[in-house]
Amino acid sequence: MRTWQFFLISLAIALAGFFAARLYQNDYLFFAGYVVLQFIVMATAWNILGGYCGYVNFGSAAFFAMGAYTTVVMTKLPAFANRHLPEGLAEIVTAITPPSMPVLIILGGVVAGLVGLGTGYLTLRLRGVFFAIATLALAVVLQTLIVNWDFVGGSRGAYVIRPATTAWLNINYIEYLFLVMLILVVVALTTARAIERSRLGYGFATIRDDEMAAEACGVPTLRLKLVATTLSGAFMGMAGAPFPYYIGYLEPSSAFGLAYAVNAIAMPMIGGTTSWVGPLVGAVLLGTLQQLATVTISSAVSLLIVGLLLVFFVIIAPNGLIGLFNDFFRRKKPEADEARGAVVKPS
Amino acid sequence: MSTLTVLFRQMTFALAFLAAMFTAGSAMAADPIKIGLSMALTGGLAGNGKAALLAIQMWADDVNAKGGLLGRKVQIVHYDDQSNPSTVPSLYTKLIDLDKVDLVVSPYGTNLIAPAMPVVMQKGMTMMSLFGVGVNKQFDYDRYFQIMPLGVDSGYAIPNAFFEVVKAMNPMPKTVAITGADAEFGKISTDAARDIAKKMGLKIVYDRSYPPASVDFAPIARAIQSANPEVVFIAGYPIDSVGLFRAINEVGLKAKLVGGGSAGPQFAAVKAQLGPMLNNALGYETYVPSEKMNFPGIQDFLKRYQDKAAAQGIDPLGFYVPPFIYAAMEIVGQAVEKTKSLDQKALAKTMHENSFPTIVGDIRFAKNGEWTQPRMLMVQYKGIEGNGVDQFRDPARYTVLYPPAFKSGDVIVPYR
Repeated sequence: MRTWQFFLISLAIALAGFFAARLYQNDYLFFAGYVVLQFIVMATAWNILGGYCGYVNFGSAAFFAMGAYTTVVMTKLPAFANRHLPEGLAEIVTAITPPSMPVLIILGGVVAGLVGLGTGYLTLRLRGVFFAIATLALAVVLQTLIVNWDFVGGSRGAYVIRPATTAWLNINYIEYLFLVMLILVVVALTTARAIERSRLGYGFATIRDDEMAAEACGVPTLRLKLVATTLSGAFMGMAGAPFPYYIGYLEPSSAFGLAYAVNAIAMPMIGGTTSWVGPLVGAVLLGTLQQLATVTISSAVSLLIVGLLLVFFVIIAPNGLIGLFNDFFRRKKPEADEARGAVVKPS
Repeated sequence: MSTLTVLFRQMTFALAFLAAMFTAGSAMAADPIKIGLSMALTGGLAGNGKAALLAIQMWADDVNAKGGLLGRKVQIVHYDDQSNPSTVPSLYTKLIDLDKVDLVVSPYGTNLIAPAMPVVMQKGMTMMSLFGVGVNKQFDYDRYFQIMPLGVDSGYAIPNAFFEVVKAMNPMPKTVAITGADAEFGKISTDAARDIAKKMGLKIVYDRSYPPASVDFAPIARAIQSANPEVVFIAGYPIDSVGLFRAINEVGLKAKLVGGGSAGPQFAAVKAQLGPMLNNALGYETYVPSEKMNFPGIQDFLKRYQDKAAAQGIDPLGFYVPPFIYAAMEIVGQAVEKTKSLDQKALAKTMHENSFPTIVGDIRFAKNGEWTQPRMLMVQYKGIEGNGVDQFRDPARYTVLYPPAFKSGDVIVPYR
């Protein structure tokens, strides 16, 4: 299937899902669904760098927070302009800020993408565990920066008050946020799938398998890594951009929360890191389980679920659910595979 | 199997999951009056969250023992928000849309209350808020009521009580050091303290915040000592407050007054940890066992609470949070009885127009939902020996310095 066909079909499914959800006439579905969708984007974004290139990013929350804080900056600009800028300029700024949600998402993506690019440049000599540590350090540095930046509320946090409805679609704002995130999921999945089947994806795979060998064969590993860090960061930023409108009050410790970093890693790991389906499956499964655990088990069991599933999958199914699934079907069809010469039975 | 078919299957599973979640949670509006809330039962705020939930359940039991509200039993529907703000919006939507609660009460603490506000406002619910600082300043919601006795200008209540004590000293000190944790509560308090100190004409000789996760406070204590302030205002969180007080004692900081704005000494565990280091230190409290604070019902409540708390392993004294949470629920109950309905608009009107007798005294709400008058106590601890908890049940351990209506003695200087 071609990329544009995939995009249109996924979009149709997404819109059908949205209208089906609307039939329930229940906001809870949208609030809980939004969180799951947000994690699909985060997991897909993480997988572009972590799954395809094999570079583990522990600082996902920092990229997410960059997107969220870009939105905070945009919402604070009108008041700032009125206080500090000359009248004519202030009028222009207040007329264009805060921009609409799609623009905020693009801005969040650009900012987080640039941070990703910068991270790529700074850490290009680092591999394996050293790269992972560097991303962790990046999260700490960025959080410290935000804590000390009064314009975005600093450690006091910032209030972002969402309107009750959207003017142009005339739907409840949470439904709008859900719809926006649904479209973002489609874009992220389409991009991940397109990468997987392109020269870029093969380049990423060579880096994952053996970076030295890839470099020796003429693969431009540096450039590819920069593309991966930028794309991955940009999607995480996009996932974070609507978050202040969802939560209403953003403060550094919640924006840089551990749950984002843990989930962004765990979801692709559980789903499977080698294909775009893995993060989707992992995020839907784990995200839904966490939502259910919160309203049924009534304790912090949800993070425990992540931990236990992670341990389980690392031991039993290192290639995630998709790997298990593939193994299962390969075993079921040994004759067919044998006919193709794929499996050679030991005599 | 093609990838698309796999995708279809997964989407179907996902929708089935969500649908199951929806149907499992929905319930017919049953006979009891349902009161919904999320509470921090795990995570960083769990200590206070569990104590708050116990007080809420005690109130529900008391009300039900008397026949309920409007002739209906009361049922508390609660979820654990894990001290994580991002869980709050969906939990409150579930409470209102699926569990069909009749009334909502907020989570515990500013960070958790704020995310509930947009949902509660959109659904038009009246909300009793538990220990939030300045939340409604942003939302200006006329159905918001807050139980912590901070008064209309909530961020200023604690620093103001401290500096009122400073102002009353003779001669009035001239220099002050301000330090606090670089997080929401610490920042709000130190910002207000700076503002008040400047207005009083005090010279601020040290003004630095520290990361809440700091472990070594000796450099901070030494830096404060070298600035040689007469009074030191501290606004930290429990763990760093303990660290800072220890460092101040180890360094042997000489100052007339120390403390004031730290979250920590209100809780039995921190009181016991600090022990004699608290002697002559200043701290804010919402309630202390004192003759002037012997409101009707509070002794009985505390006795029953302390019996249950010991069994559950939560704050054994329960002076700071539980009585106020119980009072918040008393207000909800009285408002329902007075209004004779569960209509949210009418409830808010009743709560704005009336004064409510509770176990922490009579409470009246201002236009922004805060107490009309602040009533944070500035207390000086004294006579503490060893690290036992029981000594803190003794009124003689506390001298209330502010406000004047509850004053029980004069300030003792210096701290060391």
